[in-house]
Amino acid sequence: MFAAIALLSVSAAGIVVSADTYDAADSWWRPGDQRLMPASADYENALGRVRIVNAGGSFATKDHAFFTALGSNGRACVTCHQPSNAMGLSVQTIRRRWEETDGKDPLFSSVDGSNCPNLPQAVRSSHSLLLDRGLIRVALPWPPRDADGSVIQPEFTMEVVRDPTGCNTDPLYGLNARDPSISVYRRPRPVANLKYLLELPHGVPPSDFLFYNDKSLLPRNPETGGFATLQLMSDGRDLTPKIQARDAARNHLRSNAPLSDKQLAQIESFETQVYAAQAFDKVGGELTGAGAPPGLGPEALEKGAPARLGNNPINRIFGSFAMWRSAQAPAAGADADRALMFRESVARGADIFYLRRFIINDVGKYNDKGLGNPFKRSCGSGCHNTLLMGMDLAPGYMDLGLNNLPWANERPDLPLFKVTCNSNAAPQSYLGRVIYTYDPARALITGKCADVGASMTQQSRGLAARAPYFMNGSAANLRELVDFYDRRFNIGYSEAEKIDLVNFLSVL
Amino acid sequence: MSRDFLVAALLLAAATAWAADPPPGTAVSFLACPVARDTGPDTDLCFFAEHDGHRYALVNPPDWGVPQLKHRVLVEGRVKEGPAYCGAIVIEGRASVIAEIDASCNVVLPFDGAIKGVAGGVFNSGTPEQRAFAQDLARRAAADPRLSVEPAIADPAPAPLPAPPFERRTLVIIYPFDSDRGAGPDMVKLKELATFIKVANARGVQVVGFRATSRLSDGSELTERQQIAEDRAKKVASILGGLGVNARLAHVSWDTHAIDGNGDGDWRNRKVEISVEP
Repeated sequence: MFAAIALLSVSAAGIVVSADTYDAADSWWRPGDQRLMPASADYENALGRVRIVNAGGSFATKDHAFFTALGSNGRACVTCHQPSNAMGLSVQTIRRRWEETDGKDPLFSSVDGSNCPNLPQAVRSSHSLLLDRGLIRVALPWPPRDADGSVIQPEFTMEVVRDPTGCNTDPLYGLNARDPSISVYRRPRPVANLKYLLELPHGVPPSDFLFYNDKSLLPRNPETGGFATLQLMSDGRDLTPKIQARDAARNHLRSNAPLSDKQLAQIESFETQVYAAQAFDKVGGELTGAGAPPGLGPEALEKGAPARLGNNPINRIFGSFAMWRSAQAPAAGADADRALMFRESVARGADIFYLRRFIINDVGKYNDKGLGNPFKRSCGSGCHNTLLMGMDLAPGYMDLGLNNLPWANERPDLPLFKVTCNSNAAPQSYLGRVIYTYDPARALITGKCADVGASMTQQSRGLAARAPYFMNGSAANLRELVDFYDRRFNIGYSEAEKIDLVNFLSVL
Repeated sequence: MSRDFLVAALLLAAATAWAADPPPGTAVSFLACPVARDTGPDTDLCFFAEHDGHRYALVNPPDWGVPQLKHRVLVEGRVKEGPAYCGAIVIEGRASVIAEIDASCNVVLPFDGAIKGVAGGVFNSGTPEQRAFAQDLARRAAADPRLSVEPAIADPAPAPLPAPPFERRTLVIIYPFDSDRGAGPDMVKLKELATFIKVANARGVQVVGFRATSRLSDGSELTERQQIAEDRAKKVASILGGLGVNARLAHVSWDTHAIDGNGDGDWRNRKVEISVEP
């Protein structure tokens, strides 16, 4: 089967890189490699192939800022945003790099590729969060700083309840250091399909200039003067690709000099025209082309209209899967029946995602933002409503239960904080003023009690290429992702429904 | 008269007393736990609250804030003539979510078939042009599934710019208790007002924030926090500024004294008044 896939040809402009006959020179993009970034390329993953469309056309990566080490630790943007991982980074890839380089790859740089820079860097255990959960250390100043660097007086205090990495209690890196910072551990987000993240929402006024949550003004994009969406990062702190690039160069790449205008323009130009989505499934066959569901594959994302509401009977977020309800097998042969069954399963999964309502309750910054508690929606008509992308369209963030107890999965590998809010601060709507959290998330940017644990929803494309999932990697695979929702909202999915949902998510 | 008949008659009388609705126009003002009621597998929940033996439907204008379990609601309004909603009496007024948590408010009634919800959607919301566009796309997408990823919700046509003669305009925004979150439709009106201010080259803009006391039906009072009038006024001014209104034009003030309540329409006093002199 794998050999057959490796022999498959794709479009004239495209290439296939097989991860099953893994060749670091092809699948892993090293900073400074002099390669061609093709207009289209497919990369194998455990479930099939993800396709990367480089809409601006192929170019040589030599001296391109996205592909070049920009700081002292040898990393480039591409280190954590690998084409083979849908422009994100899977834990499978991370482990391979550890094994191949004996932990010497710049990916494992002490600054954030280890649990804490103060740990012995040669041993695996010091990089366990990256190797086991795909997590990068993010050190944020405490108290928070405004965009102009001025201190924001937070509405809460924090105590470190548990510190398995040692970083938050470290005298140099911790909350009591001379320059206090808090270390949280997060997944790199995929740098693809960004036009959907950067455009202000259409058709849902006044969300084109106000936060949905509290109807305060959206921040300004300093480059354009217009309002910004905050969809780029999980805590909404960097508003544009250029701002994010500056932040990443300084903090993740250890660049001592600011990026030049040319470097920033190169990075922004590349990031805003690259699209990623699964394009082939090992069981279901081709996911794009004539007769395929129209929302699949990166070509649909390239052509699609960004920032549109998809939670309606026509769009249903990712479009129709009706053609697979009574699917035709992709080709005659021994695997034809399995392909047929898989496609039918995907179509059922789409229906569950689109239509199966469940009660959504106690989600801070969501149920309390005017919608009501509880509120009854399906996955697609609720939080994952952006056409073709599946994140929440309205600029806002929510505490789904990924970070805060009691909903979050038990994570003894992560630091645990006790947040105590001032008595005059608006409480987190369902947890009050004393909150135990693995990551205060948006509250580390705003300093607001009600924001503790809240984060921006993520896009749902290229999932098969970039496990684990959620901002803290708490779902190792798509089944664990579905199980989390099933438990969190007491949905009661049957085993068959879970399988259908996993199959559906795997082809996005 | 048998003993059983007597008991039954007494029970019926008690039930009748419970069920006798207050007449239209009756003012009510009370704090209570909201109760959520499931309205069917394909529709959302509705909410009601019980007070003095009656069930009152909790309905607000769009995006003004739906009740929340784990929180009490302040219900204020007048009984409205017309059919029940959510199996409860409809009032003309507002239901405000109280910010502090009350864990005892946590009842969801399962769907029993008696109250069925109505699903919303693109075919019955938005402008007539948007609804027609969605209907047409739905028809075409049924024949050609590739169209199912074309956006079904068209951008509304831009509102025409205000034209002379420009006259004095006012906008009053009503808020939930202790809240400075304006409802979406009010914020759209605020944006239109900002456009008017700019196009009319207005001479002055007054933004005045208020806070209020609500007198409850049991005689007790509930007063908003001291800071809220200022918060409301400053937030409106900030939005106007963000929409391009020259900050020097706007005179922003607030009344720290809470407007007294009389138990009838006190919700109208939780407000910001914006007036524009062209």
